[in-house]
This record gives sequence, C-alpha cells and structure tokens, in this order.
Amino acid sequence: LLDCARHHANGGQDFEGQHLAELVTTVLLGVSGIIAFLVGYVQQDIYQTLWIGLGGTALTFIAVVPSWSFYTKNPVAWLPPHNATSGLRIDVDGNQVG
Amino acid sequence: MHSALVRVQNVFGFFTTVAFVVATVIALSVVVTPQAPSASVKLKNVQVVRGRPHYYSTKREEYAHIKFDLDTDLTSLFSWNTKQVFLYLTATYPSLDPREPPSQAIIWDAVLPSLSEPLHHNQYIHPAKNGKASKGKKSPYPPGEIHLAAQRPKYQITDISGKIQNRTDVVLELGWNVQPWVGALRWANYEDFGVWKGMSGGKSGVFSFPEIKKRKEADLKTEKGGEGNRGKPA
Repeated sequence: LLDCARHHANGGQDFEGQHLAELVTTVLLGVSGIIAFLVGYVQQDIYQTLWIGLGGTALTFIAVVPSWSFYTKNPVAWLPPHNATSGLRIDVDGNQVG
Repeated sequence: MHSALVRVQNVFGFFTTVAFVVATVIALSVVVTPQAPSASVKLKNVQVVRGRPHYYSTKREEYAHIKFDLDTDLTSLFSWNTKQVFLYLTATYPSLDPREPPSQAIIWDAVLPSLSEPLHHNQYIHPAKNGKASKGKKSPYPPGEIHLAAQRPKYQITDISGKIQNRTDVVLELGWNVQPWVGALRWANYEDFGVWKGMSGGKSGVFSFPEIKKRKEADLKTEKGGEGNRGKPA
C-alpha cells in the first residue's frame, strides 16, 4: 500500500504520459471555460457559468493528478543496474567509470 | 508534470488564467447588451421646517421635506451580469454665489436587487399595488420597475449654511449605479453610448423651497428620517 501511495505521489508517469497530461490540462480547462461562458450567456444566468467552470476544473484535477494507466503506457527502458557481474564497461573521457 | 504536486500546481495555475479570461469576457459582454432606461420624476409637495440635526444638538437648521412621485422602467439595466442597482434621487439647486457649483443632496435611495441575488435586509422592497407593505418580501414588479406616488423622502436635506427656505431653481434628478457580478461599476448615463440609450426623463420640473410656515411646535421638533434613528438610543 505504501508503495502504491508513493507511486501516485512521485509520479510514475512516463515522458509520453507527462506530455499527454499537459495537453489534457490545457484542453479540458480551456474548453470548460468556453462552454461555461456560452451556456451562461445563452441562459442569461451567471451561476451556470460559475458552476460549469468550477466543475470543469474539478474534472481536470481528477483527470490529471493521479497516475492513471493511460499515462504509463510507454515506460522508459532504463539500462540495467550496474553491479560487478553485469560485465558492462562505461567509459567517460577514456576513463573507465563502471 | 513528473510528480503529483507539480501536476496540481500546473492545473491550478492554468485554472486562474482561464477564470480571469472568462471574467474579462463577461465584463465586456455588458457593453454589447442594449439598455434603454426611462423614468418620470414629479414633485408632489415640498415644505421647509426648522429642526435640530439630532436630539442633543443646540444648532437650529432648516430642513426641506420633499415628497415626490416616481415611475421608472429600469428593467433593461438588469442584464445577466447585474448584481444590484443602487438608485438615488437628488435635489440640485444653484448656489447663491454664481461662481460656485450647485449644491446637490440625496433625498431618497434604494438598493434594487436582481433576481439572481440572495435576499438581504438592505434591499428595497417595493410596496404592494394597493399601497400596503409587500407580503413575502417580494416586489410586485420585475426588478427595475418602480411606481411610487407621494413617496416621503428618506432624508430631509439642509444647506451648508443651515438655511434652505426661499431657495429657487431646484430640480429633482434620478441617478444610479449598476453593480455587476464582475466588471466595472457604471453610473447613470443621460447620453447615448453605443447600444446603451441615454436616460429618457428622470428629471423633475423646476421648483422652489417655500418659506417656513409660522408654527411653534415645528420649532421644538427633532427632525429625523428613518435612517437617522438607527443604532442610537432614544
């Protein structure tokens, strides 16, 4: 359970997922703002603008903040961890560091 | 967007931008909303009495008590972005010295709520059509429509000199503030501005403050309006 909580707090989103999350934020908030104004103006009721705007924002928070599975579809293939038996040679400026 | 905290900050940051832009568009939408206010103000009766500003005052002043008829149609001031309209009636009379600007004093005012505003005890409740107080705290007319006959003033006015009898060329004039939910506060416009028509009517004919009638009990009375008593003992 702690691991799960840490996973959600620290991300777990891969680079593709982070890009997607950014896009979702912009589109959802922008569209909800536009809809909020149009509905309020047509209905002549500013309360509808308020509640649609706030509702869209709440929806955006729910959609973006947790690490949903569609944000973790392209995990980064990290190099295997280095240890003595890996047999991997890493050279930096001609000096062996690994 | 690599951690949950950064994502919260990102979403909230963009939310403030969207909220500000939507508020700006709402404020600007008022400019393209047509309005055509009209009103008729008539003097019913005016009298001048002597009195004191409050009970313990030794100062004697003259107070003008102006009754008036008021019929307004300000319904077009109530757009979707109108919170309330503050309506006031002023009496304007020229100064004795022609180089000085005229004196202007409010004799009556009212806070007219829009239908979207929650009830508050400062809001004006229009009397019912039969002249009695309205039941259920609801105005019998839509917001902005007022029909008052022989309305007493809320405030008795005096001059800075304390003498107001025999002053001439007095005019009653209607003014207002439109207070929006978001955007700019607007004053009464007597000229056309874009799709906003200027106020039609809204001014009474010219009259004069009469001389004080010789009456002894009037000299001893404390002059006070409904507002003057509020929160003060006795």
